[in-house]
Amino acid sequence: MTVPVLRRLMAACGVALLGFVPLLAATTPKIQFTDTRLENGLRVIISEDHTAPVFSIAVSYNVGSRDERKGRTGFAHLFEHMMFKGSENVGPGEHFMLVFNNGGNMNGTTNKDRTLYFETLPSNQLDLGIFLEADRMRSLAITKENLDNQRNAVQEERRLGVDNQPYGKTFEAVDELAYENFAYEHSVIGSMTDLSAATVEDVASFFKTYYAPNNAVLSIVGDVDAKTTIEKVRKAFEPIPAQAPPPKVDMTEPAQTAERRLTLDDALARLPRLDIAYHRPDSASPDDDALSVLATVLSSGRSSRFYQAIVREKQLAPNVSAGAGSSRGPGLFRVVGTAAPGKTLDALEAAIDEEIEKVKNGPIADWEIEKARNNAKRSFVGSLTSTLSRANLLGEYALFYDDPGRINTRIDRLAKVTAADVQRVARQYLTPENRTVVLTWPKPSAPKGGL
Amino acid sequence: MTARTRIAAAVAALSVAGAATILAAGGPGAQPPPSSQAVVIKGKAPVSSQVLQVKLPRPQEADLASGVHLMVLEDHRAPQITFQLIIPGAGGYYDPPDHPGLAQFTAALMREGTATKTSEQISAELETIAATLNVNAGLSAQDATVAGSSLSEHFGRLLDLTADVLLNPAFRDEELARYKLQQRAQLTQIRAQSSFLAAERFNKVVFGDHPGARIMPSLTALEKTAHDALVAAHKTRYVPDHAILAIAGDVTMAEARTLVDAKLGTWKNAGAPKPGVADPTPLERPGVYLVARPNSVQTDLVVGTQAISRTSPDYFNLTVMNKVIGGGPTGRLFVHLREEKGYTYGAYSNLGAVSYRGVWMASTQVRTDVTKPALTDLLDEIRQMREIRVPDQEFLDNKRAIVAGFALELESPQAVLVDHITRYRYGLPIDYWDKYPERIMAVTQQDVLAAAKKYLDPSRLQIVAVGNADAIAEFLKTLGALEVYDTEGKRISEK
Repeated sequence: MTVPVLRRLMAACGVALLGFVPLLAATTPKIQFTDTRLENGLRVIISEDHTAPVFSIAVSYNVGSRDERKGRTGFAHLFEHMMFKGSENVGPGEHFMLVFNNGGNMNGTTNKDRTLYFETLPSNQLDLGIFLEADRMRSLAITKENLDNQRNAVQEERRLGVDNQPYGKTFEAVDELAYENFAYEHSVIGSMTDLSAATVEDVASFFKTYYAPNNAVLSIVGDVDAKTTIEKVRKAFEPIPAQAPPPKVDMTEPAQTAERRLTLDDALARLPRLDIAYHRPDSASPDDDALSVLATVLSSGRSSRFYQAIVREKQLAPNVSAGAGSSRGPGLFRVVGTAAPGKTLDALEAAIDEEIEKVKNGPIADWEIEKARNNAKRSFVGSLTSTLSRANLLGEYALFYDDPGRINTRIDRLAKVTAADVQRVARQYLTPENRTVVLTWPKPSAPKGGL
Repeated sequence: MTARTRIAAAVAALSVAGAATILAAGGPGAQPPPSSQAVVIKGKAPVSSQVLQVKLPRPQEADLASGVHLMVLEDHRAPQITFQLIIPGAGGYYDPPDHPGLAQFTAALMREGTATKTSEQISAELETIAATLNVNAGLSAQDATVAGSSLSEHFGRLLDLTADVLLNPAFRDEELARYKLQQRAQLTQIRAQSSFLAAERFNKVVFGDHPGARIMPSLTALEKTAHDALVAAHKTRYVPDHAILAIAGDVTMAEARTLVDAKLGTWKNAGAPKPGVADPTPLERPGVYLVARPNSVQTDLVVGTQAISRTSPDYFNLTVMNKVIGGGPTGRLFVHLREEKGYTYGAYSNLGAVSYRGVWMASTQVRTDVTKPALTDLLDEIRQMREIRVPDQEFLDNKRAIVAGFALELESPQAVLVDHITRYRYGLPIDYWDKYPERIMAVTQQDVLAAAKKYLDPSRLQIVAVGNADAIAEFLKTLGALEVYDTEGKRISEK
């Protein structure tokens, strides 16, 4: 079934009629797309763009580390690696060869909420892109040899990104302390022990449960014809049987009532670092946009309050950042700063608190709000020269919100956020009892391997 | 933009039919390498045997009286404009040997206030319109680059700010003091990164005293930097004589020219000579270096040597060679070290051909206890490139990958413009990118073998490892006379 795009157009008109930044509404193009559900439940979104002889294909599977069980942390991501080790008609490693040798680009990526696979290819390779995604959704090759090999690669990925990096363990520590619900409490990369424990049976059962067509969104954007493309997609994907829907994960996070605080020693770090995380609602919440503007006001660019007050004026830190932490489930609004040599984390923390209080109680200038609006517009305009960025967004919005049209509404939504909204969410969420604080101290432990 | 595209069977079809072809190479030997299951080609996927032939659109170009070479790549599909102003002679390459980083400090501080605007005002004006403006001068770069971007509707305002930053920087002492504080922290922090330590040591051993070795400023250079040095560096180096202004996006040549005349009209030719470059001293012996990094759980490995400049006749041969051995997840290093052996998350190689003789290098990060087999395999891959002709299918696949990849560039006007900047920068012919695919396809297996023999010469190969010295030093000593450094970059004696 193809859903008409009228709803989105009406939304856009509505905004213009109400007089919210009509200039934006007038000049920003809307992304058109078709939205179809196959008989086996696979949702297919196609958006034509003939400005370059290129298309991107993306499959967003509704599975992330949130779906992992205890004792199998890191499994969703380890599984992602298995998706490149072959299927009935594609040999191990052949996927890389087929994509790159034909001038394409590709990757896979896993986060807490979804697993995404994508290729960008010259437009004459549409059949190839569809075939590669359909073949592995239908018939992944699950062998112990493949699993052992990718287990090693993933364990090196963990060493590279976490264990051999300064502050590598801090990120994990924040989530472990801030969350009580296991779904978001553990890291995407997972623990070495759990990665070692994963079995071929785990892979097979995960594949059957989560890699079903009814648990995925396929998006294709670029130099394709929507009508012939949907027929090709039907032919390739429709024979793949639907499965029983996966168990729904309970994401409920109990309200935090008192500050949590932890000190970590880090043998690889050189400067002390402060991480603060405040619980915030999920990205479907009406407060999501105001939280995003709040993060912009606090830390986007050198005109931001953190940079001006803490980095420039007080010179307490070489950098301080804030991230809205918009995620599909209960999120964390994060503040991270590193103390400048000779400065203390106490002083840094006090300065951060002071800026947060100023947002809550003092005025927010018009230009700070305008900045957030223009950021949203530029980010949308930037996606117009990337089929991949649009394919990924359409897939994610369909998966998370059942609303791929959200790609066209972000500018208008952000344009409605007022200074009062920003202050309200700051007062509501950035409170001491709602935060987790992790202090990381450089610790030159007993020299090991230093000669 | 009107990207003219056509389908043509420029290269032979990728042989996808028939039984499994095994591509992966394994251990040593004079024969094509033995099989492994790391890559199995089943050949059942539907592949269009044709390469989508694309002609990269060309920018319009003009030489202005100031000396600026203006390039405009018009593309109206998105309401945004990006630009790069490239100023040869203003990069760290030209810093005095006792003041490495002067170019970087100058570039960074240009944005921190002008005669009429404070740093805060500049940031606020730019960021309110979601525009970007950055001035950069790499430690070994020949150029400084002023790069900016904005929505089309704000481009005039962006150029006003750009002109102010370019022509009237104030270099106030208080800003310099702030900058020093931040840089001190950064110079401290970066030494925590294994990848930085590897790059620092590798550049040093490959380039020696040549400016190409520079990667980070020294603390001494930072501390001694004063207002007058910045003013002088700006005045002498930021001249339009040999500059390139490249603009891509929602703007025409006529509009761009009018804007440039209006905003940069006072930027006058200074009669500066074209800045020259010299090649580094050739390497005469191999080397093995260890940076002892306590608490490392991985070893960062970099192996490489001096190679070629961008205009070398061997450029195409080495481009294909580099693709075969380490160009992405289809390269031999990735296939063998990761997909077959599981030593690493990634293993790649890179050809850095610039105005002077640059480097070829292979790099990977492996868990400490497989340092020996991983480095042994990596060195063996290099040996195989020198000694064994690349098999037919693998060779064709790699050339096809390079040529077919051009279609993807058409998505981004900035990417296309970067190619044209390269063409102009290195004095390459106007039809360089039109001919590029056929030049790649003309490279033979013999060419690659000869280039590998010539450039991947073991008697000039440098090996750098960063990691746990207790665990890896003994093995490294078996590869040659080992020099050991600490994480501050100081040579240390062994215990």
